[in-house]
Amino acid sequence: MAASSSVGRVLTLCRRFQNVCSLSSSIGTQRCAFSLTKYQGNLNSRSTSSQLLSCSTIFMPLGQHQSVHTTISRRGLEEFFDSPENWGESTVKSGAPWTAKQLRAKSNEDLHKLWYVLLKERNMLLTLEQEAKRQRVPMPSPERLRKVERSMTRLDTAVWERETALRLLQTGQEKGRPGAWRRNMFGQVYWYRFKEYAIPWHLNKRYKRKKFFTPSFVEPHVRLRIEKYLREKARKMNRQNRRLLKLKEKLPKSLSA
Amino acid sequence: IYINIIVPIYQLGNPQLRIFRPNWFLTLVRPGKEQPPDTAQFRVPMEMTKYDVKNYLEKIYNVPVGVVRTRIQFGSNKKRNHLNQKVKKPDYKVAYVQLAQGQTFTFPDVFPEKDQTPAEGSMEEMQNKFMEDEKQRQKLDPRRGGVTEWFGL
Repeated sequence: MAASSSVGRVLTLCRRFQNVCSLSSSIGTQRCAFSLTKYQGNLNSRSTSSQLLSCSTIFMPLGQHQSVHTTISRRGLEEFFDSPENWGESTVKSGAPWTAKQLRAKSNEDLHKLWYVLLKERNMLLTLEQEAKRQRVPMPSPERLRKVERSMTRLDTAVWERETALRLLQTGQEKGRPGAWRRNMFGQVYWYRFKEYAIPWHLNKRYKRKKFFTPSFVEPHVRLRIEKYLREKARKMNRQNRRLLKLKEKLPKSLSA
Repeated sequence: IYINIIVPIYQLGNPQLRIFRPNWFLTLVRPGKEQPPDTAQFRVPMEMTKYDVKNYLEKIYNVPVGVVRTRIQFGSNKKRNHLNQKVKKPDYKVAYVQLAQGQTFTFPDVFPEKDQTPAEGSMEEMQNKFMEDEKQRQKLDPRRGGVTEWFGL
């Protein structure tokens, strides 16, 4: 059981897996099955193989299905913990986080699967962190958690970029969520993002209390605010110029060029 | 990007809302009080409901879930820092998940005692040896029988 669990970990996250078996038709994309891959390299022990190494693997194009059938891991709640060899260690080796550049090269299916892999890893690390706090023991290698978090945010950005590109091509809309430039009651203009309601705005009491205009008694203060901002900017520029002049006086002429 | 997402409102007749790439993370915790053998205790983000937790565990972890009960644990606001300001410990939601199909779950011991003898790793061994030598040098003359140097001669 431990061996299979370690194999499972290695397979999913190790750099050396060469083929990704595409999801079989029986498993819908709804269900997260991060499918284990056939591991053709030499099986290293868990300590040497790094978990989060960025994979520059060769993915077989989906047209040529290799008849690789792997079982979904059936470990259940054991997946909330590391493999038992790592229990009690003071440090656990892990590789570098995924970079946005590497993630942009992956297909959507791979990103989907990777998200769940990272999700499970993050859950495991969170349980480990909490248990370490409970036992009043230092958590082994907490940088893993930060690496996973960064990988996940980068994955998000990659997917968001793809979505915006697709949206621009199909509809010409730059933003996914509609909005408008509005002036609030302090005289400031900002991008107001629309929220979805079940009723129209003229029946919405709380929305009507929110003022999207500047009352007349606030308008003079807007000008004062602009003046203050300009004054600060001018002072900053003057300060910089005076500093440069002073330095030019002090330092020898050859340096100033 | 996933943080300020607003979920579309649901009205009668709408299709079932599906979430790709959920942004929710569960933490398995050791129960403070004694729990029945088939119960697992999770710390769950506040936005999750019982059905969410059930679906999450069933779909992602393939765990047969029976019932889920949740409660919100209030994090204390009583402690004060060196500036006498109140410090809030964050609130969190706890989910008690009962496993179906008669499965049991005990929280394992994740930090067992291990022998720390670094045999091959020469660096650690050298460091340990050096520390022991230093300590030996600091010790007093054993012939004085535990008496410090402060007493004359």
